[in-house]
Amino acid sequence: MTDSHRWFHRFAVRGVAWRRYLDFGVTNVPFYLRPVMIFFWTIFFFFFAAPARRAILSNLRVVLPGSSPLLNLGRAWLTLYNFAWTIADAADHKLGKTEFAYEVEGAEFLEQLAAAQGAVLLTAHMGNYDLGAALFAQRYQRNIRMVRAPEADAQTARHLDESLERAGAGAVKVAYNTSSMALPLELLNAIRQGEIVSIQGDRAVAHVSQRAACLFGEEVKLPDGPFMLAFVSQAPIYPLFIVRTSFHHYKIITRPPIHCLRSERDREGVMEEAMRNWSRTLESVIAANWSQWFSLVPIFPER
Amino acid sequence: MNDPAPGQIGYAFALPRLAARLAGHKVRRAEFSRWEAYGLGILVFGMSCVFGARLFLPFVRPMALQVLVLFLLPFAIWLAFLILYYLNFLVIGVLRRLGLYSVLTNNPFQHVVIMALTSGIAFSFLGDECAWVKPLGVFWLGLLSLNLLSILLEKLRHEL
Repeated sequence: MTDSHRWFHRFAVRGVAWRRYLDFGVTNVPFYLRPVMIFFWTIFFFFFAAPARRAILSNLRVVLPGSSPLLNLGRAWLTLYNFAWTIADAADHKLGKTEFAYEVEGAEFLEQLAAAQGAVLLTAHMGNYDLGAALFAQRYQRNIRMVRAPEADAQTARHLDESLERAGAGAVKVAYNTSSMALPLELLNAIRQGEIVSIQGDRAVAHVSQRAACLFGEEVKLPDGPFMLAFVSQAPIYPLFIVRTSFHHYKIITRPPIHCLRSERDREGVMEEAMRNWSRTLESVIAANWSQWFSLVPIFPER
Repeated sequence: MNDPAPGQIGYAFALPRLAARLAGHKVRRAEFSRWEAYGLGILVFGMSCVFGARLFLPFVRPMALQVLVLFLLPFAIWLAFLILYYLNFLVIGVLRRLGLYSVLTNNPFQHVVIMALTSGIAFSFLGDECAWVKPLGVFWLGLLSLNLLSILLEKLRHEL
């Protein structure tokens, strides 16, 4: 790739230039002008990020069956608007140490997770998972190992890693979900040492262990790594989501833990039941918060 | 992230803090209010758009073109704000190098510049003949004065 091509690549939708510009924005735009700025930038990206827009539309068609295609365009814009807010808030926390207020749904499960000696935190590309992980690690003084899908752009990946580690004051370590065999062993060791491993379980990336599950009546591929880890380590899986409710306000949604206990049944049966349980949880949270499901790639099979 | 106690609210500006205190609420300085964020943002941006429209529309004659200008104006104002942030950023860079500005973010300086510019726009509205533009200027200057007065009262309250 030539230098000029590489330079241009920074301005691709997932390029690092926009992330750096976001950092510029949160340190230079007064808080009361951010709604206006985010509104206009969302219009820009709504047209510029066509693959993401199409992916949101295709997901919405399944999540909200029978919905009007025209109305879904508005919903896709709203989803991108919420996405812009969440990444702006995460950058704001990192650079401006801004305070955020939150409420908790399922507080008893959050306390259990904070006290757990090794656990899997299963979440989705929903709401502000980056901010949530950093703040959870800070508040409960726990180390989190966050597994993410690899970023398309290496510089963006580096920028995100640095942001997360900075926001979490070093307590959040990022690992990438690749086909490498070393990662599962590393995660298993981390759980056995009492750490919390956070994984996004709403979409399987290529070359990563996955199996069929049912979501909104459609067959989708979900990663089975979290369940495998839980089965081998006998650690509980805590479904957790953090959604934006209003300006600088968030809601942490924690659901009852999913256990993959060794029992008389075979491993496959245990895993399948756990995945069914997870799919039901995911469905209920997405249905209630569809405008904050930031799965910017199509999840469901094309019709 | 903070877990505010029930009933505790946060405002960034002194005026709503004072109003909330007078209403008997426990209040502190924090950017928690959507009314402040969206309300003030729309007011500042809206006044800039009105100013732009009053400035440029007299030069546009055909009605269709006026509608087009009105449609494009918010985008132009948005771009103008982006340029303003960048110019302020350059000035702040110089001030930092001279040791005259050391705040963590550039937001406080940007805030002062935007408030000054918006107040300038409000002053220009005072001389406008349009029935609703003048009250808009009066409204802004009234809000600004009340907020400055609230800052003073907060300071006195802390000293007493």
